[in-house]
Parts: sequence; C-alpha cells; structure tokens
Amino acid sequence: MAAGVLTKGLCGFRQPRIIAAGYSCSGPLYATATAVKTLPLQTDSTAVTDKIQNLPLETPDFFRLSELFSLKDLFDARVHLGHKKGCRHRLMEPYLFGSRLGQDIIDLDQTMAHLQSALNFTAHIAYRGGIILFVSRRRQFGHVVESTAGDCGEYAHTRYWQGGLLTNAPIQYGPGVRLPDLIVFLSTLNNVFQQHVGVRDAAKMNIPTVGVVDSNCNPSLVTYPVPGNDDTPAAMELYCRLFKMTINRAKDKRRQMELLQGLSPAGLTQGSS
Amino acid sequence: MAALCKVVSGLRTGACVFPKRTIDICKSLYSTDSGETSEGNAVEETQKPAADKVKSGFAAAYEQHTDLQQRQNQTGTTVRLGSTRNEKSFASLLRNSPLMQMGPAKDKMVIGKIFHIIKDDLYIDFGAKFHCVCKRPTVDGEKYQRGSRVRIRLEDLELTSRFLGANTDTTLLEADAFLLGLIESKDQRVEQH
Repeated sequence: MAAGVLTKGLCGFRQPRIIAAGYSCSGPLYATATAVKTLPLQTDSTAVTDKIQNLPLETPDFFRLSELFSLKDLFDARVHLGHKKGCRHRLMEPYLFGSRLGQDIIDLDQTMAHLQSALNFTAHIAYRGGIILFVSRRRQFGHVVESTAGDCGEYAHTRYWQGGLLTNAPIQYGPGVRLPDLIVFLSTLNNVFQQHVGVRDAAKMNIPTVGVVDSNCNPSLVTYPVPGNDDTPAAMELYCRLFKMTINRAKDKRRQMELLQGLSPAGLTQGSS
Repeated sequence: MAALCKVVSGLRTGACVFPKRTIDICKSLYSTDSGETSEGNAVEETQKPAADKVKSGFAAAYEQHTDLQQRQNQTGTTVRLGSTRNEKSFASLLRNSPLMQMGPAKDKMVIGKIFHIIKDDLYIDFGAKFHCVCKRPTVDGEKYQRGSRVRIRLEDLELTSRFLGANTDTTLLEADAFLLGLIESKDQRVEQH
C-alpha cells in the first residue's frame, strides 16, 4: 500500500516539502506553522495562495469529516458483511473481524479509521482543485455513481474501460490531456472477478486511488483502501453520499477561503462557519 | 440472629466490600433454620470447623461468588459509563444483530421487501448482504408490486461454489430463498408452492 504518494495535483507548490505526511490525520508529521512562512520577495497574491493551500494541512481533521459518519451508520448500511469464506482474498485477512457460519465479517473499527483517512485525502484533493474520477463496473450501481459524480461536480466512468485510457491518454485523447488527480473505486472488481484495470493503471501513472475493498478484493495496489461491503445498495449509497458530502464541503471551504482572502489579503483569518 | 451473624462472619475472608445481594441470599437460606434454635445451633457448630478446614461445597462456592462480585463491582463503574454514553462497540452491535441471532440461514422464515421487478422475476431484499430472486407466483400475481412485503424461507445467504481448477469460489452475488407469500394486513395468508 503506497500511502501518501505525491501526485500531479500538488505541483502548485513553490517550496518543496514533505507533503506526503500531511495527509495522514493521525500522525504528528503534518506541516507546522513555522514551515508556512513565505519568502519576503514573493508578491502578496502568491503568498495568499500559498496560505490558502497550506492552512488545511495544519489540523488533522480540518474539514471535520468525522461528524459525517458513525459506526452505527456503517453497521446499519451493512458495510460489515463480507463474502463467503471460500471467496476470501488472502490479503484481506487483516481487515476481517472474523467469520460467522462461513460468511466473513469485516472489522468496522478498522473501516472507520480507513474511511476517515480516505475521506480526508479526498477532501484535500478537492480543496486544491483536483480532478476526481469515480469508477465502478457494477452495473447495478452505475446510475448511483454517475449521479453522485454529477452532484459534486466531478467525473465518473462506469462503462467499459478501454485499455489505454490512462496509460495511452495523449495518443487516444490528444496531446495535453489532464489525467485525474484521484480515482475513487466504489468497487475494485470487474464483473468477471478480475481486478479492475484502472487500479493497476492508476498505480502505473502515479495517480492515488481510494477503493472500497470487499473480502474478495486485492487491496495491495489501492492507496487508501476502505474495507467494506460493495454489493449491497444501502452500503453503496452510503459511500456515494459520504464522498459527495466530503467533496462539496471541501469545495465550499475553498470558495470561502478565497472570498475571505479576496476581501482582506493582509490578514489571514481561519473563517468562522 | 446472633448465630446467623456469627456464621456469616465466619465465612467472610477479609472482604472489604460485602455485597448486599449475598447477604439477602444468606438470610433467606438460613431464615428457615432460625425459627428452630436447635437446628440453628447445629448449623453453627458444623460451619465453624468447616471455616478452619478446606472449604468445600456451598462454602467454597460462596467464597468464589464473593470474589467475583467484588471484581464486578470494581469494574462495574466503567461498564456503566460506557452504556450511559450510548456508544456501543462493534462487537456488541454485531452480537445483538438479527443476522447473528438468526444462526444458520437454512430454513429460516424472514420478511423481505420487493425492490425491483423484471416481468416475472421478483428481487427481494431481506436485510442480508445479497437479495434473492423469486418467480412471481401464479396465485394473486398482480399483488406483488415494488415495495410489497413478502414472507420467504431462506436456503442460503450467498450462492457460492468452488469449481475444479479454481483458486477461489465462484459466487452468483445472490441469496437463495423460497417465496411463501405476501404479508397482508387482513391476516389472509396466501400459501404458494
């Protein structure tokens, strides 16, 4: 699991810093205020932009995403139900609570932590104006995923994935095409119980991925795996709702920050509500 | 009453907190004997030497129970705090969930809801990971619409099977159940084959 990989969306920084650690909500390695000082030779606008970019990195849960979901919500949406024991993937065993009468049960305590970090990462990408692509090859949930993407102003791909979509993009879609900065897999499998090609291709192209991994999925190439059920409509609707709320919250925060800075470029206020 | 108190104090093994429940039990147990003084004295005599020797039978069980009560009372405060905060752990939520309480899915009657219909196929969701698909019955077929509640008898929660040469099971992403009938408010059950 390649956590904290630098992506294209973070190329707007002038000062090279260890950005990778900034996205973990639990570690003490996030950027401190002392590292945020801008050089005096820079103009006011760039300094303000840098401050807007760096402010969310100073608190672990800047967007207060832990209030969006609770253990009870996940439990009621049947996120803890996995496949049968025979379908289990070896690498999913650390995420399982146990097995009941042949059916695997996913540990929701671990899922809470993973979901929190995945949503936090998504929020930071959306805050910085990154492109997010929702991918799911489950035909049953294609419409839900596409409408979720439309509601938060991002993109979705729930149809047949052409081989060179990410790896051969400049030739297939023309030069200078911008690839997504984050790919969210609401189901990492194809219908034939093969892993979705996008997981491998995103890893090849250095695009971080967030993926809901069920007990028969391979979590190794997904940057932020979220162990959980991907077969029940209630669970899928919960994920879609959470991602939509996260992205909307992050974008609203960005707009609010820009408005505040536009009004008073000299002082940086955190902005109430 | 004096004999009673002596017996009770003889059995105590330096416990600082004496649980009230066990006092009541002791009193109720010995209350029948306290009416007859001769029997009460006999009890006192047999209990005193028993307290000095290795305790067996009721005495040993009573000691063990006292220690357990002590330990429970010491940890009881933390347990009560957790429950008053209404934060149930995943393990307790899981253990009390209907899916766990149900046990093996074979031949269990559950109530499901039809969430999708394609011609004669009814897709019924009954609260598990997967839905089940049943054929529309011939009797009262028009009453089975989207949103109607039905009674089904479960066979399997997920149809999986390991085929020759495969590493993992192949799953159909469906549960298996037999449709019994509609749930009507008039209490008229429609039995189907």
